[in-house]
Amino acid sequence: MTILECKKLCKNYDEKVALKDVNLEVKSGKIIGLLGKNGSGKTTLIKLINDLLTPTSGKVLVEGSAPGINSKEVISYLPERTYFSSEMKVIDTIKYFEDFYKNFNKEKAFKLLKDLDLDINMKISKMSKGMREKLQLILVMSRDAKLYILDEPLGGVDPATRDYILDTILSNFCEGASVIISTHLISDIERILDEVIFIDNGEVKLHETTDDLREKENASIDEIFRRMFKC
Amino acid sequence: MLKKLLKYDLKWTYKLLVIFYALALIFSCITRLCSLVDNSALFSVLKSISAGFAIAMMVNAIINCIMRSWVRFTKNMYKDESYLTHTLPVSKNKLYLSKVLSAVICMVTSIVVVIACLFICYYSKENISILKNMLELAAGTYDTTVIKLLLVLFFVLLLEMIFIILVGYVGIIIGHKSNQNRMSKSVVMGVILYILTQMVTLLLIVIFGLFNKSVMNIVNTKDIINIDAIKLVLFAGIFIYVVYIVIYYIAGKKLLEKGVNVD
Repeated sequence: MTILECKKLCKNYDEKVALKDVNLEVKSGKIIGLLGKNGSGKTTLIKLINDLLTPTSGKVLVEGSAPGINSKEVISYLPERTYFSSEMKVIDTIKYFEDFYKNFNKEKAFKLLKDLDLDINMKISKMSKGMREKLQLILVMSRDAKLYILDEPLGGVDPATRDYILDTILSNFCEGASVIISTHLISDIERILDEVIFIDNGEVKLHETTDDLREKENASIDEIFRRMFKC
Repeated sequence: MLKKLLKYDLKWTYKLLVIFYALALIFSCITRLCSLVDNSALFSVLKSISAGFAIAMMVNAIINCIMRSWVRFTKNMYKDESYLTHTLPVSKNKLYLSKVLSAVICMVTSIVVVIACLFICYYSKENISILKNMLELAAGTYDTTVIKLLLVLFFVLLLEMIFIILVGYVGIIIGHKSNQNRMSKSVVMGVILYILTQMVTLLLIVIFGLFNKSVMNIVNTKDIINIDAIKLVLFAGIFIYVVYIVIYYIAGKKLLEKGVNVD
């Protein structure tokens, strides 16, 4: 079943073309790596899917419908930024998610917070950047969503934390759901990917299963990426 | 969902406003207590100082209500927080309505607090008597009751404040349609919209004056203005501001429904 479709999707910022004729189809139950260099258009594509940007032309369809209330019920999105007010406490963020998302699993969130040894009465302003990212990841992964979109979840964190993040993703996403992970740290995530999408200069250069690609090129995804986008 | 959105919006806006409310009430009470002590130079000075602070806090309560409504709107709809706001399973219409309602509720509270503080500061039989006489005179001129006159004045003040907040919201929305210098463009758009709307109001009064000589006299003579003309303009003004508020509300809603471009 197709969960996400992009049809001739374009996004311009004045004269600058950020995305150009992107056609994409994401099936349910896959873990997909959205891979590209910095500024290649990964975040723009993700923002368009999440209704945070308006397309210049083309369409985004989530379960066959344009982004809206239904798509937001279905998609659990982790942006690259901290979006909670620094005055909030951890417990407030849990309440917030519980208030707005029907598919939020509070028990799962508490369990993950306990595993992380995070005090629920701690203020966000007192947390380190890494802790805030982990908190957001926990909240996002505690939703029983059909599509998880994680924008640079490994950006700016140490290798040990990267492992924690990947484990959290792998062990917490719903069965049958898809996961799109945007990153340029390919070697860290390639072991978990079913498919990869290579994006460069706002264009999708490649969309293939990781097994087929490795077999065809006889190399790891990281190596293929380095070869393809060598400066 | 609207209730939940409203809860978070009000919580954020009131967080600072309650401080101004509390300070305004405290200084009003101090002013009141000082005025109870007769013939004391020290208490007279203290009364003047605390009255000054009380007035400053009252002004702050109104200005901060407007400013915080705009700041909340910008942060929540276009800055980091917007990554959460726009991914909530809520329609853009509800997001906008919640911002407007929270601003209106805060404005009503601020005006009520200001009235309460003024009452605490300056209540005395003589002052009430003077005020009553003035209001009765004004109400008599307008051929209405004091209560109705007070309600109309409260309503006019509230409408003007809501209008200012909505102009700001639409300015922010239009400013953020652009890809660069969004904040400065938002401010410029808000100011332009406000000035344009006031010019339209003036134009409407002039057009109205073409059909009503006494109204036209307000604009083009220095003669004593006919009270009927002022009454007419006051009620026409209320009607026009209600229309503006509806227009700006719909404009903001439609612009948001077309989509956003967050930072």
